[in-house]
Amino acid sequence: MPTLTLKFKKDSAKIREYKIEKGQAVSIGRLDSNDIVIENLAVSGHHAKIDWAGNGFLLTDLKSKNGTFVNDQLAISHWLKKGDMITIGKHVLIFEYDKGEAQPEKGDEKMGETMVMDTGKYRSMLAKNVSSVASQSGEGEQLGVLSFLAGGDGEVELSKKLTKLGKNASSDVVLKGFFVGQTAATISKRPDAYYLSYVGGFSKPKINGKVVKDSVGLKQFDVIEIGSFKMQFIHKS
Amino acid sequence: MVVVESAGLTDVGKKRKGNEDSLLVDDNLGLYVVADGMGGHQAGEVASSLVVKTMGDYMRQFRNNADAEEPAMFDSTLSKEANRLISGIHLSNHVVHRISNSKASYKGMGSTVSAVCFTIDTIIASNVGDSPIYLIRNEAIKTLSVPHTVIAEQMALHPDGPMRFGKAFSHMLTRAMGIEKNVKPDICEVQCFKNDMLVLSSDGLSDKVSPKEILKLVKDRSPDKGCRILVDLANERGGDDNITVIVLKVKAVKYEKGRISGFISRIMGSQ
Repeated sequence: MPTLTLKFKKDSAKIREYKIEKGQAVSIGRLDSNDIVIENLAVSGHHAKIDWAGNGFLLTDLKSKNGTFVNDQLAISHWLKKGDMITIGKHVLIFEYDKGEAQPEKGDEKMGETMVMDTGKYRSMLAKNVSSVASQSGEGEQLGVLSFLAGGDGEVELSKKLTKLGKNASSDVVLKGFFVGQTAATISKRPDAYYLSYVGGFSKPKINGKVVKDSVGLKQFDVIEIGSFKMQFIHKS
Repeated sequence: MVVVESAGLTDVGKKRKGNEDSLLVDDNLGLYVVADGMGGHQAGEVASSLVVKTMGDYMRQFRNNADAEEPAMFDSTLSKEANRLISGIHLSNHVVHRISNSKASYKGMGSTVSAVCFTIDTIIASNVGDSPIYLIRNEAIKTLSVPHTVIAEQMALHPDGPMRFGKAFSHMLTRAMGIEKNVKPDICEVQCFKNDMLVLSSDGLSDKVSPKEILKLVKDRSPDKGCRILVDLANERGGDDNITVIVLKVKAVKYEKGRISGFISRIMGSQ
């Protein structure tokens, strides 16, 4: 898999490395929507792209304001060769094939097999996708919170995989009351959502007024009642 | 405690020469593991069996020896038992990693791991890689594992992302056991109820049979028959990879005390 190494000026340290996949198009530009983002005013929003065409990689300048250069020559479209140096603004991308890399037509036999991706390679690939998304989703994980409506004050963060609610002093959320179970209910953080489960005690938990017999997935703003306690479930982003 | 009826089955499939999957079904420990190995020249087999064996050995010490040392790395967001399971996965990863670096033919070998264990009244599910863990409850099937594949992680980031990746990525894992010195398993702990069912499998099954089909085929059968029918179906549809399935059914969730006092304490909430 060929690599593009991004540097600021030719001889400085590399900023980032991008692996490019055969059959995949790579866009380069200043805007976040590009695969390779170069944040510099000398770079156009959509500056250039690299396509896999037939059996080679073709670099195309997208009518950028300041032009794209390959080995110091202005390039409009250019078939990339090993060692080519692409200059965009003051940044440089160096195109290299991996050592002993199989020729384009080869190496497809093992496709069906499970492989582990080289994490470095993956991270760099992911990084370009994450850059535009990470800001929206934080760590990609939303934290659930219980906010007391009655019987208590404040909020409880559901950061544990399994949060216990009940009378027992070791519970994560201690709820008093004669009919409240030692552990009345648990809330588990599952890959798809938070789930509340009834465990024990005379006071069965209710969600939005409905009794929970075993377990129920929690939705934004659900109201949970156990005994005289009332809490609202909130997903914080 | 949770009373479980269990069954496990592994099959080489129709295309592969060897079986690189391994499984562990241990009712005494309440531990169930599926590992799908990878790496040529039997290295995959070595990796997956190392994972399964190490997990069993590690978890067994807590049962046999009350003074067994608790894991050094304790994550306070997890229960004691969940910490043990995670610690077992870390240890297995370490073992596979060490062995893979000890011999040229083992270089780069790895494995997935999907493990389920039971506490007094909860189910803990943890995984690395793409072997799924399903929970069947109230006629619905949900996934307790998190698939560590390029496609799935891209999908989570932005739904149209995976379009950019070709077929080559469908089996591309982002994490696996034994590849790096450290590994980060995903884990969850859920309350356990009577009649809950769990299905652990390798991708030899999940590539061929959808979760909905699994739900339909497993829910009214004994675990034993459920395993058989799932393996047969995956083979019928090509059997391209090794197929491994564990099916568990929760027969009862018993509380520690005697029946009557346990019942009263449940009702009254005083233990």
